[in-house]
Amino acid sequence: MIKAENIVYEYIRRDEEGNVEGIDRVLDGISLDVQTGEFIAVIGHNGSGKSTFARNLNRLLTPTEGSLWIDGLNSDDMENTWKIRQSTGMVFQNPDNQIISSVVEEDVGFGPENMGVPTDDIWKRVEDALNAVDMIKYRSYSPNKLSGGQKQRVAIAGVLAMHPKCIILDEATAMLDPQGRLETLQTVKALNKMEKITIILITQDMEEVIYADKVFVMDHGKITMSGTPREIFTNEEALKECQLDLPQALKLANELRKEGIDITEGLLTAEELVDAICQLY
Amino acid sequence: MLRDITIGQYYPADSIIHRLDPRVKLFFVFIYVLSLFMFGNLVSYCLATILLVVAIYYAKIPVKFLIRGFKPIFVLLIFTTFMKLFITDGTVWFKLWKFTITKEGVIDVIHILVRILYLIIASSLLTYTTTPTRLTDALEQVFKPLNKLKVPVHELTMMMSIALRFIPILVEETDKIMKAQSSRCMNFSSGNILKRIKNLVPILIPLFVAALRRADDLALAMESRCYQGGEGRTKMRILKYKRQDFFVYILLAIYFVFSLIIHLLL
Repeated sequence: MIKAENIVYEYIRRDEEGNVEGIDRVLDGISLDVQTGEFIAVIGHNGSGKSTFARNLNRLLTPTEGSLWIDGLNSDDMENTWKIRQSTGMVFQNPDNQIISSVVEEDVGFGPENMGVPTDDIWKRVEDALNAVDMIKYRSYSPNKLSGGQKQRVAIAGVLAMHPKCIILDEATAMLDPQGRLETLQTVKALNKMEKITIILITQDMEEVIYADKVFVMDHGKITMSGTPREIFTNEEALKECQLDLPQALKLANELRKEGIDITEGLLTAEELVDAICQLY
Repeated sequence: MLRDITIGQYYPADSIIHRLDPRVKLFFVFIYVLSLFMFGNLVSYCLATILLVVAIYYAKIPVKFLIRGFKPIFVLLIFTTFMKLFITDGTVWFKLWKFTITKEGVIDVIHILVRILYLIIASSLLTYTTTPTRLTDALEQVFKPLNKLKVPVHELTMMMSIALRFIPILVEETDKIMKAQSSRCMNFSSGNILKRIKNLVPILIPLFVAALRRADDLALAMESRCYQGGEGRTKMRILKYKRQDFFVYILLAIYFVFSLIIHLLL
């Protein structure tokens, strides 16, 4: 689905006369391979380059160096812009700033309208997309009347209506309350399972990483670690170096183990931990 | 106070007026306003009043909601009326110290009041009963011929619909900024006018910055959803006239012709 080979992205800072003041290398030689239907998480602290990476995937930016194929399309080619944007949908951080229309269903139809889908087909797509995120009840609502999690689900529906193969969530849960976060994550997980849509979840929150098939840790524009969540979390020291923290359940398990309580390694969720503790006695 | 601004907002309800084709409503308001300013006689005002009352009744919009929309312009209205009332020359009716009220003044004021009030009611009825998207769809359709003159009709209507969508968000933001500044001992409600205007600066600057940031985000979001201008774009809703739309057109024509005849006769 996505194949990146050594991609580099540089922001060029200019002074007021337009002279080059300095070059920021935000992505520094990233190579990765994502298969169709995978649930990928990309984590990293602020300024690690993960958002820039996401924007490259959607051809909002194009790599300065290296090559990037998305769904078999070379992102270097101008002509592929719209195809790439259609096949990889993007959900952004601020729910208010990505909803274009004043009515939910019209916003969901915005993408298909842009793609030139025939009218009847748009309505079918809108209905299917709203059903998939369980927002069909709110189809004629104004987005201003929805909660953050609901807005984000509408945004996901807006992407879904374009029939993408991959959805990129660029810190889409960062501005939500715990409830909204849960709603959004569950929606995304269901889409990954049922519709086999590739998910790329970009986040700072370790708790969200747990559900991914594969995790990439980014730091200073490089991928410093990759593997399943369990593999990543065993290496606490390396994570600390990237200014990242372990999920709470895992931290607690580690602390308990230090105190001499025998808890199996590799527990990730609170439920697993509770089970493990219950089995002790 | 800011929440009182209802101009340009949609009032969701299921009424005959809501279901009318937006183009019909657009033409109706245009011709109606034109007639208000063209014909200034008692009979035509009566006709206009009847039409407006009927429209409000069928639109199922609470009168309270309608009146709330006036509040922001109320001061302006009173100001213009008083100015006009006292400075118009003509037959003196009433004199108090240096102020004189003339017959012409009173008549002028009535004209202004009726015209402005009806203009606002009619145009807010249009936005109350039509979703912004439908309104902009109508505008795009009506002004489509201008495309040939290289007028970017689609882009302009897109801008308008986005502006309408962001009004409530920016109002909320203004509220938040005002509270944030108040909590740092900013006083917005005292001092002379000059001071009050000066006090607006710490509200406006953060508001502009935030609005620009939003615009940037929105542009990215639109681009990532394949937005590439009006070309090759299909529409979710295609406007089609129905029976009731033609009926309203006929009604409008009768009203206009009738007013015109009375105007010419008087």
